[in-house]
Amino acid sequence: MKTKYTSEIFEILRRGRFICSNSPDDQIRMLYGILEEEETFIELQSYFNHINYHLEHGNEYFYFSRSESNADLDRKLKKTFGWIDLLDFLKTFDLSFDIGFRFSPAEITNQLKNNADLKNKLDNLKIIGADKRNYSERVKKVIEQLVKDDFVALENEMNETYKVLTSFNYLKELVTAINIPEEVENEIPE
Amino acid sequence: MNIQSFNDIKELLAALRREDKLLYEMFGKRKSLEFKLSYARELVDYDEARIEYLIEKSVLRQNGGLLEIDDLYLRFFEQVLEVNEEINLASIDENIKSIQENIVYFLNENNEHRKHAYLREIKRTFRKIGIVTIRSVIDLRRKVDNTFKNEPNFKNKQLKLKHLDEKRIMVRKLQGQAIELINENQPVFFKTSQDEELKRIITELKIQLNECSHNLIEIEKQIINYLNQIKQQGLFLEKLRKLKYLKAHFTIEAETDIEEQLSKNNLLIFERRQSEPLNLSIDFVINDERAFEAIKKAATNFKTRIQNIPQLAETIATDFLDNNVEQEIMINLEEVRNHFLATGDNLFSFIKNYNFNKEVSFEERVTIYCQLISLYDRELKVTNEYENLKGVEYAMVYPK
Repeated sequence: MKTKYTSEIFEILRRGRFICSNSPDDQIRMLYGILEEEETFIELQSYFNHINYHLEHGNEYFYFSRSESNADLDRKLKKTFGWIDLLDFLKTFDLSFDIGFRFSPAEITNQLKNNADLKNKLDNLKIIGADKRNYSERVKKVIEQLVKDDFVALENEMNETYKVLTSFNYLKELVTAINIPEEVENEIPE
Repeated sequence: MNIQSFNDIKELLAALRREDKLLYEMFGKRKSLEFKLSYARELVDYDEARIEYLIEKSVLRQNGGLLEIDDLYLRFFEQVLEVNEEINLASIDENIKSIQENIVYFLNENNEHRKHAYLREIKRTFRKIGIVTIRSVIDLRRKVDNTFKNEPNFKNKQLKLKHLDEKRIMVRKLQGQAIELINENQPVFFKTSQDEELKRIITELKIQLNECSHNLIEIEKQIINYLNQIKQQGLFLEKLRKLKYLKAHFTIEAETDIEEQLSKNNLLIFERRQSEPLNLSIDFVINDERAFEAIKKAATNFKTRIQNIPQLAETIATDFLDNNVEQEIMINLEEVRNHFLATGDNLFSFIKNYNFNKEVSFEERVTIYCQLISLYDRELKVTNEYENLKGVEYAMVYPK
């Protein structure tokens, strides 16, 4: 028997979003629990396969992929480049920026004051465009993008705390998967 | 400056008590390394002599405009309050040595009184070993956690954890030495000693050491885990940095397999979010209350946008409004019949000559003739005699 949450799961995943085990949203955590049951997972997987969506289980997250992508390579490259810049920015903000990490826009904005490197990286972020002059607005834009891609989520509205979701694993895995040949690696300065 | 010490514990306690406010503040700010003399003055009600006294007795040290608690006191406070940062392993080592020495003295001594003093020292030291070992294990654990979570410098974090791991090995070694000391090194002493208290202390120490060894195993796991995490983080950061470098030099596509990786990767997140132009269900539009609401709402939008300007007609000319009477003379067939019945003429000649008050043509008169015959045939007598007029053959008809 397919679960009664099938359409709910479909609606989330087909937007390119993730269902994460550590989402602050109770509903999503509940859906994660449902998908985690092996029987349900296998059943839904074959069900979605009929309409060309592959339900996949990542490290603590679920997502959809397709056998034939509708996105061309250029678009994927552009998106990945954006993520590399973003990761670089976030790791410069805090080395321990990883799953479960909590932060607020104010913390990032505050660090911009005394971290020229971070500021420089923010200035060069392509995804937020150049029109925003104000730093706190730019940081807000960065976080909006992260929320849109479903890598972080607002945990506490009162003090504007965001939490890094398990889907962040996907970004890490993507970066790790890219292979740099040794001879190229040797040419990169320390 | 000549260094004086306190004459007795009473004087020391009195001095500490008198300046508790100052010492409390200074101890609280011991990490900041910047305790201003001016602020200290405020805390002693601007009585310079009180600060001078503490400096004289080496409780405080003055360094330019700054003041700090002497290391001896600072360590004492920290250790007693269990907030020490450093793990002091030397003391365990010293204590083990001291026990060994005292055991030798004890065995050599014949004087009961002095023997007892050595035994007391041994017991005291054993108790100390237990406490110090447990304390150092707890400290170690706390430090490992703190270092991993709070040390911002990446390389130092790794180094500090490695050093803590070395400390862990040291604690383990010392703990092993202590157990060895109890179990093997001095069999004569432990067998001959009949002291109940010593036996109890030894048992307690064994329990403590056992607990420590469990804790140490746990700490070892923790450190390995942290170091692995750091290593992985480090590898990841290194990779990220390299990719960023290649990207910045526009060689990432040519030099790495990023294109291959991405062409394998068909996540929906890469796709543009598509809107779905679905048609409305007719049933829904017709039957659902919500659909009706939606239509009404949509309709109001349309109303405001398209303005209907009514087209005005021109004014009607006044002569159109005047009464126009048109008269038409109708032929009353019944009246014609009545007149005919009163005469003795035949119908055709009667109609041919009848005055209808208007011009009536011969053809029309023939039509009236036929109409009258068909309408009132029962009142007329149609004979078989025929006559001819203007090419029209007609029957002679008389009233009955």
